[in-house]
Amino acid sequence: MKIEKLLFVTEFEELWYDAVQPLLELRKAGLKHVVFLHVIDRDKVAMHRGVGYLKSEAVKLKEVANVRFIDWAESLFEQGMEVGAHIVVGNLVAKIVSVSEDEDVDLIITGCHKKGEMKDLVAGSEIMEVLRRSSKPVLVLKYAESGKIDERLFERPLFATDWSPASNAALQFISLLKDLVKDVRLIHVASEKSVEGTSAMEVQKIRKENRQKLEDDCAVLRDQGIAVEQHLYIGEVVEQIKKAVQERNASMIVVGTTGKGPMRERWLGSVPRHLAEEYNLPVLIVPPDREA
Amino acid sequence: MRKRVLVVDDDPDIITFVVTVLEENNFTPIIAKDGEEASRKIKEEKPDLVILDILMPKQSGIKLYRELKTDDSLKDVPVVVLSGIAKRTFLRSQEALTEFGENNVPEPNAYIEKPVDPDELAEQVKKFLA
Repeated sequence: MKIEKLLFVTEFEELWYDAVQPLLELRKAGLKHVVFLHVIDRDKVAMHRGVGYLKSEAVKLKEVANVRFIDWAESLFEQGMEVGAHIVVGNLVAKIVSVSEDEDVDLIITGCHKKGEMKDLVAGSEIMEVLRRSSKPVLVLKYAESGKIDERLFERPLFATDWSPASNAALQFISLLKDLVKDVRLIHVASEKSVEGTSAMEVQKIRKENRQKLEDDCAVLRDQGIAVEQHLYIGEVVEQIKKAVQERNASMIVVGTTGKGPMRERWLGSVPRHLAEEYNLPVLIVPPDREA
Repeated sequence: MRKRVLVVDDDPDIITFVVTVLEENNFTPIIAKDGEEASRKIKEEKPDLVILDILMPKQSGIKLYRELKTDDSLKDVPVVVLSGIAKRTFLRSQEALTEFGENNVPEPNAYIEKPVDPDELAEQVKKFLA
């Protein structure tokens, strides 16, 4: 695992160049290459009855994107970065997956919105589909209410673990950020169900077991020289993560994917998807390491 | 024998345009659609001149140019940069890379900012392949 190359996906609505600047902190973790991707929705230029393929519209949309990317690339080239760009017509998820594989990127950056809220932008369900199909971590960036993205977003990550293979991959990913991270807030959210109907002793036992597992993960991060504090929460996962973010003044959230299939996710919901769609804080979602 | 020119650009319209200009002026074009393909073709085909875009998939023209100019067997191949990226940016990026400890490289033989006039392009190519 490494972070040398990232794919920055933009529809020029949800993320602009100012969102790239905080990411340059990743140079401390080895970042050398930024690849921009703009996907033009096929519907905008597709065959229309009586009109056919709107080639001039496709050329116009590509050129508008090209002008923007040239401007962005110039700023990065002058800072000694390697830069690439793709402007393509097609399906958003399919293009993100294919370009991320072709370019062999280590991290995908995108914005996010709720399905149906803004038709042309990336929805949480599409991010989950990218994660299922590409095996690359995805960092969902959002502008805060101040209209800015925290320049030190990697300094105080809140990592919510459930010790799944994806959580273990997320732990390894955070280790790569050792020169950017000041201190990690490591949490686990135990479900209320797991302590229902059990005695006080039993609850204390569960608490002790969970804290020991958290301590094991803390040791992994401390071995990398990363300061870390651990906390145990009980309740509904998304709500408790949001509470922890506020209590612990986190700059971003890190979670593993749930590993649920698309149908199960649709019915049962997905923690990463909820966080990506509904929370105004950057969320790094890490899939399990399929090579391990 | 016709001189061979490697055209490195990811935009099919630009490739068509440049290839037409080259053929009309009795040069043989070779095409590469990204920096990686160009890097391979330069070594395999040994072109007499390279027309190089900067902002491309996989590997930028800035990195490819540096690769070319630091390879003893390729550094004398003339390079005409043809790009939407400003010359000032190209030079600053090379300075930045030198500051990061990489080797110093010379300026390209010619730098044309897009859009390009066909006569100007033909003239620049002829200048180095006469």
